[in-house]
Amino acid sequence: MSLPGIPVAIRRRYGPVARIVTIACGVIIAASAYLPWAYGSDALDNVTYVGGPSFIQFIALGMGLVLPALVVCSIRWPAGFGRTRVGWIRGARALATGLLIIFVVIAGAISVQLGGTININYGAWVGLAAALIGFVATRFLVQEGAPTVNRLKTPGWLSILAIAVVMLVMLFVAYYALDQSNPGTFVTFIVYTGVGVAVLLRTGALGWLTAATGAHRRVMLLAAFLVAFLFPFTQGGSDANMSIAAQVLVFAATAMGLNIVVGLAGLLDLGYIAFLGSGAFVAAMLSGTAMATFDVHPPFIVTMLLSGCVAATLGLVIGSPTLRVSGDYLAIITLAFGEIFRLSMNNLDGSDGPDLTHGSRGISDTGDLNLFGFDFGATHTIAGIEIGRFANYYFILLIWLAIVILIFSRLNNSRIGRGWVAIREDEKAAEAMGVNVFGLKLLAFASGAFLAGVAGSIKAHVDISVTPDSYVFLQSSFLLAAVVLGGMGTVLGVLIGATLLQLMPEKLRFVNEYRLMFFGLLLVVMMRFRPEGIIASERRQLEFHDEDEELAERLDDNLGPSTGAVAVEGASR
Amino acid sequence: MIVLQAMVDGLSLGALYALIAVGYTVVYGIIQLINFAHGEVFMVGAFGSMTVWLLVPGQQLGLWMLPIMLIGGMVASVAIALLMERVAYRPLRNSPRLAPLITAIGVSVFLQEFVRLFYGRIPGFPDAKANVTFPTIEGVTGTAIKLGGLDIDRPTIFTLAALIVCTVFLYLFVNKSRIGRAMQATSQDPDTARLMGINVDRIIMIAFAVGAVLAAIAGTAQGMMNTNINFKMGFIAGLKAFSAAVLGGIGNIWGALVGGLVIGVLESLATQVMPHGSAWKDVWAFVVLILILVFRPQGLLGARVVDRA
Repeated sequence: MSLPGIPVAIRRRYGPVARIVTIACGVIIAASAYLPWAYGSDALDNVTYVGGPSFIQFIALGMGLVLPALVVCSIRWPAGFGRTRVGWIRGARALATGLLIIFVVIAGAISVQLGGTININYGAWVGLAAALIGFVATRFLVQEGAPTVNRLKTPGWLSILAIAVVMLVMLFVAYYALDQSNPGTFVTFIVYTGVGVAVLLRTGALGWLTAATGAHRRVMLLAAFLVAFLFPFTQGGSDANMSIAAQVLVFAATAMGLNIVVGLAGLLDLGYIAFLGSGAFVAAMLSGTAMATFDVHPPFIVTMLLSGCVAATLGLVIGSPTLRVSGDYLAIITLAFGEIFRLSMNNLDGSDGPDLTHGSRGISDTGDLNLFGFDFGATHTIAGIEIGRFANYYFILLIWLAIVILIFSRLNNSRIGRGWVAIREDEKAAEAMGVNVFGLKLLAFASGAFLAGVAGSIKAHVDISVTPDSYVFLQSSFLLAAVVLGGMGTVLGVLIGATLLQLMPEKLRFVNEYRLMFFGLLLVVMMRFRPEGIIASERRQLEFHDEDEELAERLDDNLGPSTGAVAVEGASR
Repeated sequence: MIVLQAMVDGLSLGALYALIAVGYTVVYGIIQLINFAHGEVFMVGAFGSMTVWLLVPGQQLGLWMLPIMLIGGMVASVAIALLMERVAYRPLRNSPRLAPLITAIGVSVFLQEFVRLFYGRIPGFPDAKANVTFPTIEGVTGTAIKLGGLDIDRPTIFTLAALIVCTVFLYLFVNKSRIGRAMQATSQDPDTARLMGINVDRIIMIAFAVGAVLAAIAGTAQGMMNTNINFKMGFIAGLKAFSAAVLGGIGNIWGALVGGLVIGVLESLATQVMPHGSAWKDVWAFVVLILILVFRPQGLLGARVVDRA
């Protein structure tokens, strides 16, 4: 985005030509969808036909047509509508950049999947060339000021309609992405989604959506929950994707707990997986199966609460040093606690200590849950659609995630949450203002740990077995990465971060070998260029100060992509 | 006798931790950054000396190979440390504390995976996905020397000798050389040091390099002690060395040396004396780390009062 720009004088001079070239390129890209892209049918979703675009090609067709549309709109309504400015050219530039990336990814996917660039057919070359020319041409266009679409007054019914459309699109994206067994198609589809979001952001449409849906928060949340609830019904009885989805939910619920500790209270925890693990071990020990080490088998609700309480107690223990230690040292202490947890679980095997966990073998065969006569291990048929074992767990995890999000947002908007944020921003000032610093820090650790512990108790049954190997430092750093990459202190960001981090390795089996390496690289690159995460938490400030016009103005400007650095300064310090 | 033997073993372990700990403490003393990925510098050092041994034809095992291997390890680890500083830490120097720590985790994972995946791809090199057998150099490995009923392993002698030599050089470097004095000045007050004409960026790079040199020696010593190396060796060793640095008082070079020896001896004693010691030794090490951080964060030699909000 911040490439050295072409001088405005030159842009003015060649602008009209550039517009025509851009329009032509968009049309050519759209037309290239009707040409064959590859010589072999194994690449992407079979892009070998003449005149019969595949789904991936259809999206390229659509995006290709949007490009001329944006340029035409910028000629027809250069100043937007009335006093509302629309980022036509901004969107066109983002789209052209995105199309170039898409065609590079497509060409790469074809050559990787079929073995060499020789397998790229002329259609893809035409598309790539058009995207490249379009990219260059859009650099010659003069872009308008920051879009102001988000200030548009929107009638209620339209907002709710927008929410419905967004939710349906999200359901479809999730359904389609999970359905892909071909990694090339999966990657291309994810890139398409990213480009789509970028174009919405640059034209200002995303700002409008945020404003419109923000006004109907409850409807939005309810709709999101409904869509997530409907998701298993799109799977047609297949449990393969539901197993991934269940893991995503466990991960997301745990990351949400970590979000309290790191995102709100600003306490770095590098051993957070221990809370999930302790919950899982407690549940496994009390599960009443042959491997269980306690001969007590309370109902699951009790086990669940007990798991949470054990984890919360551990959280208090780990949190207690915060009285004297903060910053990096606290991070190291939590890391040490995480290692102690792992080593202890390995050693409590009967030979080096009391037999609680069977050591590295772990507790297997934890059995399936049975709540109120509902057997989670069996397949049920609801409305003619089969709901398998993982789908059952998906539902209970979804309910738990909803509760976690509710707890998180209620805490966040309370006196406690404001206390946490105050501690995060400046501990000494917070203390001087009468915030109970130590108590609140302990509460952050305990409540975060409780949420993770309960998630762990469900995970023990989803996974069937609980072994210490699943609760190692690397998992803690994955959780931390989900929070940091998604956006510390936000709900949506952490959900996106958790989903991406859990979904990517499942769908990208071909890079499985390299995924940890890419993960390491991603952390470094992300910290360097966008440390505030995918969703910047500063947006939330607008909710608290919506009557403060000046702050709204400033934040509004800050939300522009080129001023990310300013947002960082305020957000994470 | 068991206790004495444990102390001897502990000293060699401790010398290893001490050599790594200097890397943490030097960097921390100058820019107050916990270089979380320093354990990986140690690991790269071990693989660097292994590489040099593999490159010299004929699988030489004479003692003359040792300095060549050490130099190879140092080149590798210094290069990695400098690259790390330039790419991952320097751009974040003025960002919130959380940022470099997360970057460090990223660098750490990246380096481990990079070695794991690509070391074996070089023709003629062993696969690094499992343990890699380290060459048994004559003189510094082999049968233990008996001394009045004590078994003194040969790598122990090498490690302790290396520690003593390094300590002397470090002392001379820090106190007598221009660069060493510039390092001290920067650590006391970077802004004033800059006004006095000290190139602070260069000093920071030198601090990373000094830590890397010692880590490479430790890596080679570890290879000879355990007779094998692997891509994960940096994590636990790094964590314990960090404990050592904190125990001695982070920022204080001599503290790191003392702290390393104390942690090593404690760990060795715990292994021998405590029930089921070998299974729980790492737990004791971490408990000690936590207790120090909570109750005496300034460490044994107390370099600076730690106030890290």
